[in-house]
Amino acid sequence: MPIANGASAPRVMLHRKHACSIVTGIGNGEHPMELHQVRYFLALANTLNFTRAAEMCNVTQPALTKGVQKLEQELGGQLIYRERQLTHLTDLGKAVLPMLERALASTEAVRRRAREFQQKDVAPLAIGLAPSISASLVLEPIAEIRKFVPGLHVELREEPTSRLVELLLEGEVNVALVGDLDDTPERIDHWALFEERYVAFLAPSHELADLPAIGIEALREAIILDRSNCDVAPKFHRLLFPDAPPHHNHRSCRDLHLQHLAAAGFGIVLAPEHMPRLPSLKALPIEGDPVWREVRLLAVQGRRYSPALDAFVKVARLRDWSLHQSHIEATGMSA
Amino acid sequence: MLMSVELMSDHLTKTLNQVRNDLLAGFSDADRESYLYLVNWLRKSDIASHALQVGDTAPDFLLPDAHGRLVSSEHLRGEGPLVVSFYRGGWCPFCNAELRALQAAKFEFDRLKANLVVLSPETRDLPRQLKRQLNLDLTMLADVDHGVAISYGVLFRVPEETKAHYAGQGYDFGHRHGSTEWMLPIPATFVIDQDGVVRSSFVEPDFTIRQEPSDTLATVRLLAGSQAGDVSASDQ
Repeated sequence: MPIANGASAPRVMLHRKHACSIVTGIGNGEHPMELHQVRYFLALANTLNFTRAAEMCNVTQPALTKGVQKLEQELGGQLIYRERQLTHLTDLGKAVLPMLERALASTEAVRRRAREFQQKDVAPLAIGLAPSISASLVLEPIAEIRKFVPGLHVELREEPTSRLVELLLEGEVNVALVGDLDDTPERIDHWALFEERYVAFLAPSHELADLPAIGIEALREAIILDRSNCDVAPKFHRLLFPDAPPHHNHRSCRDLHLQHLAAAGFGIVLAPEHMPRLPSLKALPIEGDPVWREVRLLAVQGRRYSPALDAFVKVARLRDWSLHQSHIEATGMSA
Repeated sequence: MLMSVELMSDHLTKTLNQVRNDLLAGFSDADRESYLYLVNWLRKSDIASHALQVGDTAPDFLLPDAHGRLVSSEHLRGEGPLVVSFYRGGWCPFCNAELRALQAAKFEFDRLKANLVVLSPETRDLPRQLKRQLNLDLTMLADVDHGVAISYGVLFRVPEETKAHYAGQGYDFGHRHGSTEWMLPIPATFVIDQDGVVRSSFVEPDFTIRQEPSDTLATVRLLAGSQAGDVSASDQ
């Protein structure tokens, strides 16, 4: 981006009128100090060595030290302990590190995006989906980022949540959508996207299909199709079937198989509300909506975000996910 | 989208400075103490001196709006002057007053073919809620993870004393921003030209003071005039 200078087209030069003005003159056209400081601190946090961090940032060691001190002044505390043999992060340093890494990553992603756009580079984005998350959820966010990331190549991967965490850390998957998390995995950032209830999918010919909602007692009597290795099963057992396990006569590890079985009248599938279903199935709420789960977005802390990943994470964190339930509301289910 | 009659009349008759005085008069002792502490802390740490200044090139950004659609600053500034205004969040009455004032002036920004975007670090449904609540049709962008506030030099980490005050009022910025750390932008308004160069910069550590939309518009008018002049000069 050319920086306008005195020789370029006529410019409007305005100075702030307000007494507290910080605009005291014409800037030098460089990036603001703030970004450099963050970069210096991240290099230092990475290496814990002033000499190597300065080399990484291509500046002198005193310049790096000064930058980090400025950042400390602004953040209101020491970020790094400086001892003779040992340099390490303070608690404040550790606390702000992930946030500064993400913030810097997002500004760098914008700059890289422009370059990659010009070079027509391929922009891979591997999205991991837990088995209870349907691909339908990510289609609109992908379509949105494709407008700005022309070389986008998406790979969708379905794996159990624990495996997705491994794949994230290995760099095989860039971002993942999962259901409830028991523990927060280390080095993983996670954001709650939306909550949804579980509903019952069943054939219109099923004896319970004409009710406005399915009672818990009726579910306990009915045949529930069993999803092998279902991560929500313990929650169902606790909330719906505390005394006796559900009647599971048939099972599959694939949602589509279960839906086909349900459509043929073999039983009821308990599914998260967003899950697309076969046209031959009906969705009914469970009385009192006893089972809910939270859908979360996972990404690795402190890893450089590609422009595609940056855009995806941002869109996902702002999107109105409730729109996904509209197809069920359209069938007359209560909200 | 139309504003309510009440809001319209408020902003037809009152400047932001007058609204500010009304809001300050409603401060409790605790509010006042926290306000003075934060402003003093911001001035002492001289955070505002790192902000973009007139003549600097503003880094471009790509951010989601309140509905999760991506908006590119590069695209917007290509269409005319770009006004970028940082606000703290929907919980801040001074920000809400500023957003209403900007809404009231929106037709004038539109008439000058200037794009106006308002940015806050709030995520999830918060920008959508605020838009509905204040009846705004402004382009509200989410500065997710504060990347733009950092690159514009207007970000600070909320000091513990201020954090305690806001937490006491029920505001959890960690939750609102989707971040473990509590960071906020200093309210600031920048006018950026078609080359991405900052043409005016209003950065104010006293969060109760905002640029009057009429002052922002004055810059935009000059810029719109000079850009129109450039076009006619190149036509000749």
